[in-house]
Amino acid sequence: MQILRKTNLKALAKAHALGQEGVIALIERKGLEGRGGAAFPTGKKWRTCHDTQADERFVVCNADEGEPGTFKDKFIILNNPKTMIEGILIAAYAIGAKRCFIYLRGEYEFLRPKLQRQVKSMLKRAKTDVTIEIVRGAGAYICGESTALLQSLQGNRGTAMSKPPNPTRNGLWGKPTMINNVETLTCAAQAVLFDNWKPEVRLFSLSGNIQNPGVYEFPIGVKMSKVIKAANPKRKLKAVSFGCFGGIMPVDENMAITPETLMMEKCHHGAYSIIFADETNNVVDLSLSIAKFYTYESCGKCTPCREGTVRMLNLLRKIHSGEGSREDLPILCELANHIQETALCGLGQTCGNHVLTSILHFPQDYEAYFSKK
Amino acid sequence: MSERTNLMEGGKDEILLNVLHRAQEKHGYLSESVLKKISSKYSIPIAKLYGVVKFYTMFHTEPQGKNIIEICGSPSCVLNNGISLEQFLKSELKIKIGETTQDKLFSLYKTSCIGCCDEAPAMLLNRKPCTRLTIDSLKATIENLRKEAGEKKE
Ligand code: SF4
Ligand code: FES
Repeated sequence: MQILRKTNLKALAKAHALGQEGVIALIERKGLEGRGGAAFPTGKKWRTCHDTQADERFVVCNADEGEPGTFKDKFIILNNPKTMIEGILIAAYAIGAKRCFIYLRGEYEFLRPKLQRQVKSMLKRAKTDVTIEIVRGAGAYICGESTALLQSLQGNRGTAMSKPPNPTRNGLWGKPTMINNVETLTCAAQAVLFDNWKPEVRLFSLSGNIQNPGVYEFPIGVKMSKVIKAANPKRKLKAVSFGCFGGIMPVDENMAITPETLMMEKCHHGAYSIIFADETNNVVDLSLSIAKFYTYESCGKCTPCREGTVRMLNLLRKIHSGEGSREDLPILCELANHIQETALCGLGQTCGNHVLTSILHFPQDYEAYFSKK
Repeated sequence: MSERTNLMEGGKDEILLNVLHRAQEKHGYLSESVLKKISSKYSIPIAKLYGVVKFYTMFHTEPQGKNIIEICGSPSCVLNNGISLEQFLKSELKIKIGETTQDKLFSLYKTSCIGCCDEAPAMLLNRKPCTRLTIDSLKATIENLRKEAGEKKE
């Protein structure tokens, strides 16, 4: 796997040789995009951070991987943490930061003792005055969102803030702050060192009703049939959900998985987390478990998301209990659309996707509950 | 953006989350007196501190059971029989989600995805993942913890 290639501090040495401008230009040329789900060009982000006037800058490695069905960052922290740490040091050098953080989700506490030792040994080996502190999250999905993460890091409630200001210019304690995800930083080190590093290769987290769940590498554009073959389902598959926010769609073996083909089905690739559900499931049940997730994780700051997620959940519960009717579906869609249009942050803006796509692609599953009446 | 004064100690900023985690590990939970100490040590108003603590599901302001179970309720686990495990835990421990058993041995919570979907269904037991759960494996785990506690008493 490309993601497992070790850089052994050679990438950092190369970055030093290239200079700040050189390493930023290299990352831009290599076409690295953020791997947390938003796919923003990494080089551009580094450049903005570097070019913003300030006496101090920070790097934050976002290890608050919380999107259901996603475990690729855990895989990296377990299997190639030193390359990730080197990525942090390269980012720090590129933008001129001395103080860096790893925001590690509370659910990954079991990874922390070893990671702490590795950070210590890498800093020593790199003979650097840069510091890397591990910040322990405490169970809030929203803290993976950059503005909420910064609030959390600064000792506040981890609620999302409106942008601008963009954290890259005005982040921690008002200073330019570069927030990059675990996979992005690991790839940054590899992209700097290896000439044959491929930007289109992505980590896929596969889970659900399959016999070979795990982290796989595929290029963007891979055929769904190939992914399914690796996943090895026991029974016939019915639906795939792209994490929680990416939407639910029928399994189409012939589809090439790209952001564009998914968009045509009103789905989003996110962090390429694919949850498979087989034919024994009703998609409404899947949607219900996703709705519970959003109700639980909404940070409560804005009304449409705080109240709307509860109302969507209640409607789905009603349908699930056999008390619903066809008239509930337009209400559900209206709610979902309304929340998405008015919510402040990415959580609210995507929390209705599963409802919209499950009604679009699986009306028969809703019908099955209506006819139970 | 918040100013940077409140967590300065000996010239080194401390991250509040880390301070709270350490305090909770030491005292079992974040009691009023523990929070008051943190409040005065770092000059953070107690109301603000309480607001922060209440925001995060992993911080507790009430005494907890000796063992904290957090069962995953997200899709990959639900698709792999997760709901029946939750029901089993509730009936075996005779408590609801968010409660602590009378013998103070277990507290039960539901959590969003813990990133163990590749080994679903999963839960955290005292912050460590237990994966590929079955009712039998859960039963055995709970029996062991009960036995351990019983032996310590004797
Ligand atoms: S959209 Fe939801 S999660 Fe985002 S800020 Fe508003 S309430 Fe919080
Ligand atoms: S869905 Fe349960 S661990 Fe991810």
